[in-house]
Amino acid sequence: MVKARHQQPLARPSFKTRFRAYVRDHVRVLLFSLGKLYRTPFATTFTLLMIAVALALPACLYVLLNNLQTVTHKWDDVGQISLFLQTDTSEPALKQLKATITKHEQVENVNYISADLALSEFKNRSEFSDLLEGLPINPLPPTLVVTPINSAKQSDTLNKLKKEFQSLANVEQVQLDMQWLQRLQAITDIIRRAITAIGIMLGLSVLLVVGNSIRLDIENRRAEIEVTKLIGATDRFIRRPFLYGGMWFGLLGGILALLLVFIVLLVIRQPAQDLVGLYNSDFKLMLPSFIQSISLIGSSIFLGLFGSWLAVGHRIAKIQPS
Amino acid sequence: MIELQNVTKRYPGNREALTHLNLTIEQGEMAFLTGPSGAGKSTLLKLIAAIERPTRGQVFINRKNITRIPKRKVPALRRHMGVVFQDHHLLHDRNVFDNVSLPLQIAGFAQVDINRRVRAALDKVALLDKEQMMPITLSGGEQQRVGIARAVVHKPAILLADEPTGNLDPELSAEIMRLFNDFNQVGVTVLIASHDLDLIERMSKRIIRLRAGECIDSQSPLDAQNFEIHN
Repeated sequence: MVKARHQQPLARPSFKTRFRAYVRDHVRVLLFSLGKLYRTPFATTFTLLMIAVALALPACLYVLLNNLQTVTHKWDDVGQISLFLQTDTSEPALKQLKATITKHEQVENVNYISADLALSEFKNRSEFSDLLEGLPINPLPPTLVVTPINSAKQSDTLNKLKKEFQSLANVEQVQLDMQWLQRLQAITDIIRRAITAIGIMLGLSVLLVVGNSIRLDIENRRAEIEVTKLIGATDRFIRRPFLYGGMWFGLLGGILALLLVFIVLLVIRQPAQDLVGLYNSDFKLMLPSFIQSISLIGSSIFLGLFGSWLAVGHRIAKIQPS
Repeated sequence: MIELQNVTKRYPGNREALTHLNLTIEQGEMAFLTGPSGAGKSTLLKLIAAIERPTRGQVFINRKNITRIPKRKVPALRRHMGVVFQDHHLLHDRNVFDNVSLPLQIAGFAQVDINRRVRAALDKVALLDKEQMMPITLSGGEQQRVGIARAVVHKPAILLADEPTGNLDPELSAEIMRLFNDFNQVGVTVLIASHDLDLIERMSKRIIRLRAGECIDSQSPLDAQNFEIHN
């Protein structure tokens, strides 16, 4: 029998061809993994909603906290400084003091409240007016109320001013009514940390949700993975669609989360503005900025990719044809 | 092409699947591997495809020692082989064309070459008109032919088959065997595990008989004619 001509083995594709095939495979897998989600609409919707809720919650809290901080910044404006003077301060010394402070470049104006005026005001406002009536002397000191210029209304500068005034003659005590503001700041610090902690925990849950979906997908495709390995596929080639799957979960879940954040904020916008309006503030609830929106989606993609990477990890290497 | 030197394979639990096996299959040879279940046929194929590693002894493919081949080099080794399974192992979420093109996709061929090679392979197994169909809609024999097309589409030097006719009727089985023979005619080294003795004896090729992990007989077609003398 005459033997047929021997087949020529296929030459290995050139580097350029292989690189183009590599890019082509990425595009193909990108679309394929999206199609895979589309073909399992129920499971996909379920997973995406879990991701979206887990991300929307800390994102909403974060945006609200930012809003709270802009409100308290506005309240910073009331930062006045009260200088309680020694009761025996003479009239010329008082005038001198007032002039000195008025000239200070960080002072807007100075208001003098005499001891008598302070007493009568106090009497008008206090329930103990009868009791005060019986006092032989006026216990209240004369007071200078200093309003700093706007640029000086920050806790650092105010504290500096306070120290300066403290050293002036005839000044008994300087009071900066900022304690409540500092308390509020301390509280927002706690809230900020709490939100960060919640964000980390919920981010972890996104990782687990994506990881679990991908792990299930891998188990379902065990036979397919074994076959592709036998055909000579590298682990990277097999890993690719699963990683892209995680990326899609992250991207779509992130977009959905952003949508939820906007819905929630738009729903509470009006009542929040009404509430703050009661405090005479022209407050407008800020929605997430473009950068913030992009970072939300970006971190979601990262979590999706990382979650699928964790799930894929050694799993693909462990699946061997049998 | 394929050489096993004193190979012993022991699975966990001390079951010895192969015992001190020596075997050489020359380039361009076609051989059948037969024996009762548990004789070590599948294990032998797995050692050649680097699915399993021998416990002792050495395995050479194309004069390269693959006994302790690192994991990352296994894909490249397998790209020189084609494997046909009893139950086809086709991917059911893509059509015939995409199934057959998979080895070429993996190896990174240009799309034009892929198209040409896939059509050539499908033409060879007479399924050119079914390239757009989903595997599930094909008959068992057709599915097996798709599996064969996928195994040869990248022109491998070695073709391994594990019970490729296990689920087919005698007529289809003969047709599949003829296909393997055709590939052998163009120089492919073919090794087929099968227990269909009637069929493989008619092919007049070398038959390697295993029993309990040992090679009890290896007769070339010439020997077959002198069967009495050989024994």
